[in-house]
Amino acid sequence: MSMFLAAAETASTPFPHLLTLLVLVPAVGSAVVALISKQRPDVCRQAAFLFSATAGALAVYLLWNFDVADGGFQFVESTTWVRDFGIGWRLGVDGISLFLVVLSGLLFPFVILAITPEHDPKPYYAWLLLLQAGSLGVFVALDLFAFFVFFEIVLVPMYFLIGSWGHGNRTYAAMKFFLFTMFGSALMLVGILALVATAADAIGAGATFDIRELAQADLATNTARLIFCAFALAFAVKVPIFPLHTWLPDAHTEAPTAGSVILAGIMLKLGTYGFVRFGLYLFPEASRWAAPVFLTLGVVGILYGAVVATMQRDLKRLVAYSSVAHLGFIVLGTFAMNSQGVTGGIMQMVNHGLSTGALFLLVGMIYERRHTREIAELNGLQRSAPIMAAVFTVVMLSSIGLPGLNGFVGEFLILNGTFIANRWYAVIAAVGVILAALYLLWAYQRVFHGTPRSVENESFADLRLREGLAVGALLVPIVVLGVYPKPMIERIEPSVAVLLEHIEARTGVAPAEGPTAERSTVEELFGAGHGDDASHGANAGKVDK
Amino acid sequence: MSLLASLAAQAAQPVTPVTSVLVETPSVDWWGLLPLILLAAPAMVLLHASSLLRRVFRGFYATASVGIAGTAAAFAIVQWFRVTDLDGGRGPYTTVASAYTVDGYSVFITVVLCVAVIVSSLVADGYLRREGLDGAETYALLLLSASGGVVMASANDLIVLFLGLEVLSIPVYVLAASHLRRSASQEAGFKYFILGAFASAFFLYGIALVYGATGSTNLGTIRQTLQDDPFVDGGALLLAGAAFLLVGFGFKVAAVPFHAWTPDVYQGAPSPVVSYMASGVKAAGFAGLVRVFDVTLAGQVRDWQPIVVGLAVLTLLGGSVLAVAQTDVKRMLAYSSISHAGFLLVGVAVASPEGAAAVLFYLAAYGLMIGGTFAVVTAVAGPGEQATGIDAFRGLGRRQPMLALGFTVLLFAQTGVPLTSGFFAKFGVIKAAVDGGWYWLAAVAMLSAVVGAFVYLRLVVAMFMVEDIDPHHGDGDVVAATPAPVAMPAALTLALAATVVATLVVGFLPGLLTDLAGDAVPVVLATLP
Amino acid sequence: MFIAQTLPTVTSSWYLSLAALLFAIGAVGLLVRRNPLVMFMCVELMLNAVNLTFVAFARSMGDLGGQALVFFVMVVAAAEVVVGLAIMVALLRRRPDATTADDVAALRG
Repeated sequence: MSMFLAAAETASTPFPHLLTLLVLVPAVGSAVVALISKQRPDVCRQAAFLFSATAGALAVYLLWNFDVADGGFQFVESTTWVRDFGIGWRLGVDGISLFLVVLSGLLFPFVILAITPEHDPKPYYAWLLLLQAGSLGVFVALDLFAFFVFFEIVLVPMYFLIGSWGHGNRTYAAMKFFLFTMFGSALMLVGILALVATAADAIGAGATFDIRELAQADLATNTARLIFCAFALAFAVKVPIFPLHTWLPDAHTEAPTAGSVILAGIMLKLGTYGFVRFGLYLFPEASRWAAPVFLTLGVVGILYGAVVATMQRDLKRLVAYSSVAHLGFIVLGTFAMNSQGVTGGIMQMVNHGLSTGALFLLVGMIYERRHTREIAELNGLQRSAPIMAAVFTVVMLSSIGLPGLNGFVGEFLILNGTFIANRWYAVIAAVGVILAALYLLWAYQRVFHGTPRSVENESFADLRLREGLAVGALLVPIVVLGVYPKPMIERIEPSVAVLLEHIEARTGVAPAEGPTAERSTVEELFGAGHGDDASHGANAGKVDK
Repeated sequence: MSLLASLAAQAAQPVTPVTSVLVETPSVDWWGLLPLILLAAPAMVLLHASSLLRRVFRGFYATASVGIAGTAAAFAIVQWFRVTDLDGGRGPYTTVASAYTVDGYSVFITVVLCVAVIVSSLVADGYLRREGLDGAETYALLLLSASGGVVMASANDLIVLFLGLEVLSIPVYVLAASHLRRSASQEAGFKYFILGAFASAFFLYGIALVYGATGSTNLGTIRQTLQDDPFVDGGALLLAGAAFLLVGFGFKVAAVPFHAWTPDVYQGAPSPVVSYMASGVKAAGFAGLVRVFDVTLAGQVRDWQPIVVGLAVLTLLGGSVLAVAQTDVKRMLAYSSISHAGFLLVGVAVASPEGAAAVLFYLAAYGLMIGGTFAVVTAVAGPGEQATGIDAFRGLGRRQPMLALGFTVLLFAQTGVPLTSGFFAKFGVIKAAVDGGWYWLAAVAMLSAVVGAFVYLRLVVAMFMVEDIDPHHGDGDVVAATPAPVAMPAALTLALAATVVATLVVGFLPGLLTDLAGDAVPVVLATLP
Repeated sequence: MFIAQTLPTVTSSWYLSLAALLFAIGAVGLLVRRNPLVMFMCVELMLNAVNLTFVAFARSMGDLGGQALVFFVMVVAAAEVVVGLAIMVALLRRRPDATTADDVAALRG
């Protein structure tokens, strides 16, 4: 490791190698847990929590010291990794990745605390920690090679989590998950190398995998588009975007609860984050060229996910399909390619992680008690478990996008941005919002309302203290971000502005920023009261730049 | 003129009378030949000593084999510094009438071969004792075969290359058939021999045609001749010769469509021998392939490149697709090794120094991976190598987690998961292909890797994700509740641990090996003085 | 005299063609024939065809090197046969009924 630490640039960072430490702590933790005796599951658990919480604390420290006004990369580290190939250990965060880093940092200790595995705790915790290291790595990597390494390495722990601790057809789901994602990233590797090679020709310098340098290279239009397609395929599988989504319901449904929470909370964001960081940033022209396709697929995903979710009989599958719809929104916002859309997309990545993560957690708790996820088997749970019903309601409303909760802010910004870029997409997507209300409320009604029609449902236990604390921990940001999103927006906005300026400089096309009049129309549409908060935040960000 | 008269006239052509008794012999740089001698000579001694020594301590022969190969590798490493240091050192050179090259490339392959022998010997130790076959023969043959591989890697003359190929192959025929009590082993040896001899004949005919076209078998002279006159003899004879050479190499490195022997031989031959075949024989084969095609025939690249690219595509797809259908782990690994040969062929096909360096990296990384993999297969298969089905790995993750974890690392390395040497091996090849403008070839290679991943994942599933006992297993028979634990002899454990650690270390810090592979090329060819 | 005038001159290409023919016969024979011993002989035929090619080229180019190569080939061929026959014997000991190569087919997948 001393190799990594040797020649890093540390001048601008308040805490040297903070990001390296952030990645290494859980990785080392994984090895440590693997060395603890199998006979001491409690020690494994404590150690796992300790390491992941340390990473979480470092992430919070990062958030604390993040310079709000600076839209560029902060906490940058850079060390040579493979000299001959121009590969470096280059890390950094900006507003785009900041909250995803924090989410990855905090969601893991939370999951470790909240959920106990059904068997074999030791390898379970080891894989979880490795997963945390990998996810953090993806979000802080500024080097395409390092990014690819982390992007791929997360497959392994997730594969084991689904395959070993999952339910039902778990090996099939695990295999499908692994092969689908590997298929996508296989071509991305070719794309990465093609980009590096052509960029080296264009710049005239040696090959480098540094995205900050690669973003400056002038590529031939068609070359850039082709390479973009290779990247986009990998991200589209990971998101997943509509026709490539088939692995997601299987993986989500068969995964253990922790796996589902992490999958929804973090893994799916690797794709959407990839689109923003590597799609828009490295291939501005190609992204603009491909935007109609992704806008369309995003809208199709929203409607398809909603319709299919409505038809599900399995509660977990329903939530899984709702993810397809939500991710459609994020794709929509990203490819609106304006300040509101991209900012909203990034916010929604975090929001979706919180609300869907919480939904999976609750579904997991129901499954633990009833050993079924069939909606038809569950009824009248409100009677026996009122607190759980209340919590479920809040989380569900956040997922629907009710004003006052976090989901609204992101969705509103996305729709706002999309409306400015192309209003018809926004109109259709808005239908998706209504559908989301439909399938979630309907499912809620069937599961919680009415009178319990079986003994099991009558004796359904309410939230225990530990479970309550776990879900409560997720409820706090859900409410806080819904009521007061400004701190989040003002950290995301400057980086998005930098990104959009970069796109503008590279393509010569200004982002579609609509006149204020249009925006206020949208605000009126979705309720002015909370819209004020959101737009205020958005405007505050603009003032900053 | 009559027929008889013409024959008589030919016979009567003036022959220069030999007047001088002094015969000039080419100078031999014995120091340059040292790694070769250190492999071959002690192997002979070991073979003879075994018949003279009555009682030796347990594991003596394996220890000796490891020691011999280690010494040869150590001297090769010493040579490395002199040969690759172009400023202060000697630099690459040829010896024995420029028939034998000592350059970074040959030294690199020498070390790879020595490591392959060491790993195989460590695995063979426990295996031979378990099977009641303990003796010096296996080790002596391994060492002799490696010496042939060293000759192949160092050959600067087609005939020397051929001799190296034969010295490499003949011991392996014997090794494949060396399990006296398994008829599968003899069958493997027989098949390997017949097809190997067939391939050698093709190879040799190729040499003859190239000789006819260029008037020499010396690689340097051939290249010089071709540079001076690219259309020598209309090109047809040369190209036919090159094609025959390619067929010969294709058999040796198991490229589709010349792969038919591979699954049978891998399945039947003793696992430690298969380990050497996949690591050592493959390395030597590719060493020759690169030197003949990428270097000697560099000027003819437009002619042979499409064919090698075609071979690479067939090999990649054939290997990975056919591997999916297998249920026997050794056959599965045979097909997967074919698919890896496809990756290596991509490195050869792009015909660039980066490609050659990528091939070297791949050979080194793959040799370690597959060595460890077959160490596990040897251990799990049990006495008589009965348990080579995928079911033999069922529940291994629960019963012997460390073994299963080590195996998983090696399998993921072959899949190409990052932070293992296997990923960077693929990365290097793909990078060379992309740099050469072969985008579609790179894409095909990566997609075949995805198909191939299924095979490795299936083994991981068997080890970790299924219960020990499958209720639907067999014809209603009750399967033994817990299979006997897999016996892990110390030497085998050492081999496994070392390969796993090396796979991970190279995976984390690939720069260690890329620097070496980069220094090993450019391959230097000497012409006749 | 009559015969000699109608027959063309024998050039090195005659030998090369003959060698190519022998090589082809050997190669096809190896693929077609199922008797292991005949298969060995086919390999020998191929190797000797190569020898003829070497000699013909060496003669036409006036290069002694090519003729010397034949000795290498002969030695290697002898070594190959020794090993091959030994393997064959070992195999037949285990399976006395395996008289053709098709009988040696326990390994398949």
